[in-house]
Amino acid sequence: MLTAGVITLLFVCYLVWGSGMRAASAQRAFASELNSEWAHAALPGGPGGSKTSLAASQPALPERFDAVTGQPFAFIQIPAFGKSWRFALIEGTALAQLNVSPGHVPGTQWPGQLGNFAVAGHRVTSGNPFWSLPSLRPGDLVDIQTELNDYTYRVIGKHVVSPADLGVLDPVPGDPGKQPTQRLITLITCDPAWTGTHRVIVTGVLVSAEERLCTAGYGSGCPGASTPGQPR
Amino acid sequence: MYGWIWQRLPGSIYARAAAMSGLAIVVAAALWFFVFPWAASHLPIDGSAFTG
Repeated sequence: MLTAGVITLLFVCYLVWGSGMRAASAQRAFASELNSEWAHAALPGGPGGSKTSLAASQPALPERFDAVTGQPFAFIQIPAFGKSWRFALIEGTALAQLNVSPGHVPGTQWPGQLGNFAVAGHRVTSGNPFWSLPSLRPGDLVDIQTELNDYTYRVIGKHVVSPADLGVLDPVPGDPGKQPTQRLITLITCDPAWTGTHRVIVTGVLVSAEERLCTAGYGSGCPGASTPGQPR
Repeated sequence: MYGWIWQRLPGSIYARAAAMSGLAIVVAAALWFFVFPWAASHLPIDGSAFTG
């Protein structure tokens, strides 16, 4: 009896911290993979490499995404969650991917594209990436940094749906077959926490897309890094 | 269960205590690195979202 209690307690510790440690080391690996890929692309002659101007904003460069399942392709930052909150985004939302990182729902659009860029992540376990998702309010910003561009979405709504409600993934959410006119982001996680009964959906709309002014070492000291062109 | 193991361990009380701790650590490590990851993937927590 006592043994069972101790093992249960240990298991809860594992869920909260153990799976987080595994996810954190995966995140570090993704970040260094992206940074080295992007630094390589920024060598003279590469996209963005010859840029010397530090002008506040440059129009977004056309971009193609070809990440395969499990491969990182972007970073997501949500200023409302604090400066240190940043996760890599990888392709795929099967458990194998969600257990290490928030992922892009395959078949939905990519960052900045016309339609619906859908991202799912764990609410609890694996570093609890989307723990605070339900606290986002209309007006909060979501930044997506890709190899070439910096996309900023502004939250416009939040609702709770059943996991079977795949309509939220449509290019025009809830209206399959309709031609999209907006560039949306849909962030998805579980609700209530610790259960799989419902999903919280946070929707945002693209408010700016700019070329990233510095490619490697995104973060402190990088011009324009923390001030996306649009005011809040 | 613990008494049964304790009685079958050889050596002094200290050697037995050390062996017991060693066993406990091995069991905990096996749970942490093998059993728990497997069990976690079978929990209905945060099921794979909308991959249908």
